[in-house]
Amino acid sequence: MKYTPSLGDILQARGVSRRGFLKYCAATTSLLALPPTMVPRIANALEQARRPSVIWLSFQECTGCTESLTRSSSPTLEGLIFDSISLDYHHTLQAASGEAAEAARHAAMEENMGNYLVLVDGSIPLGNPGFSTIAGISNYDMLMETVKGAAAVVAIGSCASFGGIPGADPNPTGAVSVKDLITDKPVINVPGCPPIPMVITAVLSQYLTFGQLPELDHLGRPVAFYGQTIHDRCYRRPFYEQGLFAETFDDEGARKGWCLFRLGCKGPITYNACATMKWNGGTSFPIEAGHPCLGCSEPGFWDKGGFYNPVSTTDIGSGVALAGAAAAGVAIGAAAAAMSRRRQKKTIQEG
Amino acid sequence: MSTSEFDLESKRLSIKEPEIRYDTQGDLSDEERVQKAMAHFAKNFGTTAAIYLDSCIHCGMCADACHYYVATGDPKYTPIWKLEPFKQAYKREVSPFAFLYRLFGLKKKVTAEQLQEWQHLLYDSCTVCGRCSLICPMGIDIASLVAMARHGMFKAGLVPHELHAVAERAEVDGSPLGVTPQLFEERLEWMEDEHEVDINIDKEQADVLAVMSSIEIQKYPAAMAATAKILNAMGESWTFRTDGFEATNFGMMSGNVEWQKNTSMRIINAAIKVGAKMVLLPECGHAYMALRWMGANIYGKPLPFKVLHVSEYLADALNSGKLKVRKVDKSVTFHDPCQISRRGGATRAPRDILKHLAVDFRELPGGGDYNWCCGGGGGVVTILRADELRYKVFKLKMEQVEATEAETLLSSCSNCRQNFDDCQEHYDWKYTMESLLDLVADNLEEDEA
Amino acid sequence: MDLLDFARGPAMQVAIYVFLTGSLWRLFGILLLQRKPDYSELRKTGKLRAALKVIWNRAFTAPEFRMATRYTRIVGYTLHFGLFVTVFLFVPHIVFFKGLIGIDWPGLPNNVIFFVGVITVGVGIAILIRRMTHPVLRLISNFDDYFSWFVTMLPVITGLIMPIRFGIRWETLLAIHILSVALLLIWLPFGKLAHVFLLIASRGTTGAIIERRGART
Repeated sequence: MKYTPSLGDILQARGVSRRGFLKYCAATTSLLALPPTMVPRIANALEQARRPSVIWLSFQECTGCTESLTRSSSPTLEGLIFDSISLDYHHTLQAASGEAAEAARHAAMEENMGNYLVLVDGSIPLGNPGFSTIAGISNYDMLMETVKGAAAVVAIGSCASFGGIPGADPNPTGAVSVKDLITDKPVINVPGCPPIPMVITAVLSQYLTFGQLPELDHLGRPVAFYGQTIHDRCYRRPFYEQGLFAETFDDEGARKGWCLFRLGCKGPITYNACATMKWNGGTSFPIEAGHPCLGCSEPGFWDKGGFYNPVSTTDIGSGVALAGAAAAGVAIGAAAAAMSRRRQKKTIQEG
Repeated sequence: MSTSEFDLESKRLSIKEPEIRYDTQGDLSDEERVQKAMAHFAKNFGTTAAIYLDSCIHCGMCADACHYYVATGDPKYTPIWKLEPFKQAYKREVSPFAFLYRLFGLKKKVTAEQLQEWQHLLYDSCTVCGRCSLICPMGIDIASLVAMARHGMFKAGLVPHELHAVAERAEVDGSPLGVTPQLFEERLEWMEDEHEVDINIDKEQADVLAVMSSIEIQKYPAAMAATAKILNAMGESWTFRTDGFEATNFGMMSGNVEWQKNTSMRIINAAIKVGAKMVLLPECGHAYMALRWMGANIYGKPLPFKVLHVSEYLADALNSGKLKVRKVDKSVTFHDPCQISRRGGATRAPRDILKHLAVDFRELPGGGDYNWCCGGGGGVVTILRADELRYKVFKLKMEQVEATEAETLLSSCSNCRQNFDDCQEHYDWKYTMESLLDLVADNLEEDEA
Repeated sequence: MDLLDFARGPAMQVAIYVFLTGSLWRLFGILLLQRKPDYSELRKTGKLRAALKVIWNRAFTAPEFRMATRYTRIVGYTLHFGLFVTVFLFVPHIVFFKGLIGIDWPGLPNNVIFFVGVITVGVGIAILIRRMTHPVLRLISNFDDYFSWFVTMLPVITGLIMPIRFGIRWETLLAIHILSVALLLIWLPFGKLAHVFLLIASRGTTGAIIERRGART
């Protein structure tokens, strides 16, 4: 029987102290908003965890999600954990290529039938199978085939969760999300363009620990990270309330760190953890850096009226249409007046 | 009848909710009356009326300005409510959304019952005084709409019968009180003798055509002498004409446009005949509205002469120094006739005159353009069944006058004067209304020469 | 397309078109009726100046009438002031208008707007009660009066609920608020709310006629 080291074995071998490992488990527990009593259970589960098979499928994506996850600014425990998953298929990271890679995918599927995790980034084009293929196989075919034996599917990033940028108007490739296609397996959406790295690992850790889906909102996103808006957790909120706004980039208000609502910030309608967990290991997030939130973890965020149009604006249509409406009003009014005058005359004659 | 129908609470024996009484003229059926009313409402539905009828926001402030609502507290006297059938007809037939209203049955046709019920509101309880027009935040000239609505009521044969009788008299005989040209001449000659003043009658040519109201001719004839005295003192080339002397316009008040025109044309034709440069209107309120502001439009083109109310003429004469008066040592208050001051724009004239008379002038509290209407104008004083209401609203006038504690009460409208006289008798009131014209004529300085 | 996209997009577009078409329909339907010339000898010239004078001064009640109308005036002014402040001095609204007409202006802090909004609703309720209980208003009021009240108050109330939340998602509350504004815009030309532009015509007409007679306006 093949010796498959547990995660605990691997960590020990790498010289990760028990203390360090437990610290990670405590942080993860806290991130998941679980009580401290859960720490030992998470520690136990992770320790015992056999390196589960993970198959990562990349479709119409920009690789940003992978970059976000793996390109950390400093080696972290998350990276080590990642090494401790059996990542059996990932275009960017895998050593194999070509037919060998596809063979590895099939082998992993067979060996772990019913137990492997499928992670997907990128949207799936339905317009023409030729728009995006891997080893000659269309994205759609590869997804449906791979998901057959999966325990669960995690859609990483806004493209896989909602269609993302390929799905933006006019959606030339007919891009759809994972949830649009997979209805018979549990699907967790971890949107963001890209998602926050620690959100990805925490979701995976939770799944590995409990073997079941976390609480999800109506869009399939874990409530633990997508349960509150940026606006409700934004450190600049007091300026919104006071009515102090940056009017343009780098103006006095911008330099004073005032609210970016007028510059189009979608914080009020965006659910994500950027304002609390932040990016680059807690360094900053877009608003803190002076740029309005794009709303990148929401469906269709590319088509919500423009990044620099505030949430309270509306698209009133073209000037031509407005002129047409005005002309219609005048015309109908004139017609009404003509009808009224005729009726007036008639009434006078009848009397 | 069961006893529950009796009104046992009021001081006088009566029944609760008596049926609405209304007068009719002619033999028309109800449908015909409605048809006539609609036709003659419709004649007025031009842009001006449409803007007004479409702009009402139901704020109810007009009620606060109306002496009928203020004196009784009865919401049916809300001025814009008096126009409800008129407004309803406009919205249903001619408004921009009339088609939709008809299609979806959102506005009903005006019924005969409505018109009958509204006779009281449009005639008994409106003097077209225009206070409501001043208070309306939308600037709606509500008073003018009542005058328009009366056109429909007249043709429908739904005018209070005394007002109709008087108006018919004016149309047929030329005077609401039956003053024929002959009678007019006779009374002029009487005044000539009585007051020793030269009165010009039926001259072929004159710069000034003087006209009188039948109320003055019959009840306050001294006005004729006073007018003559003043015109003579001014050295005017002037005349009365027996073929055009009636200043009142009961066609206008009752709502008959043709009769209104006939009455006005008599004056206009007479003035043209003598080549008058000016028509001098007497102390009559609605005469001013009829000729000064509506005359040219009735005529269809600008009038070829100026129109002045006698108070305006006197004010000009005194201001320019052409006329001089003695000082009158009295405390005086002045009741502004609605059609001359508020509606007519001639508010300053009487005040100039009183300044020259050097009286101790005390404005009525809330006087001038915002003055309370005496309650007798618009034909109301002719309607007997409206007497109780007329006396009730007069209480506001009495309070207003008494607050000044002035010795003398003046005005320059003989219809107001008539109403004041009647109410004075009813209430045994200490104030008698006097004529501004008389006061000036009695105090001309050239008398001393 | 979720509810917010619908509200900000097609719903508001349709509302603005109906508002534009309906308002001009009503205005021209009135202005193109018969006109009669006035041949009388007017005391004053300057129709436009006369019209503007009355358009301005009817916003204020003459001193003689102030006592009798004090309740109406106090609640009326307060309501209009409250609507003006909450609609035009709240920054997310200012940004909305800037998107429409390109003009920008400064706003007030959110809590001030909220405070004024609460007063506006309070006064609105007082106005409704008065309309339902005062004998004059009860007699002359109709569907238009009550529906217009509802359609005006709904945006204010839904706007106030947004910061209070009541556990509902913010974007849902925003969508409902925007839809209530769309309803207001659609109804405006057809009921008494059209007084926002009709007042110019009615006051101006009285100015042109009465003011030029030299009579009091």
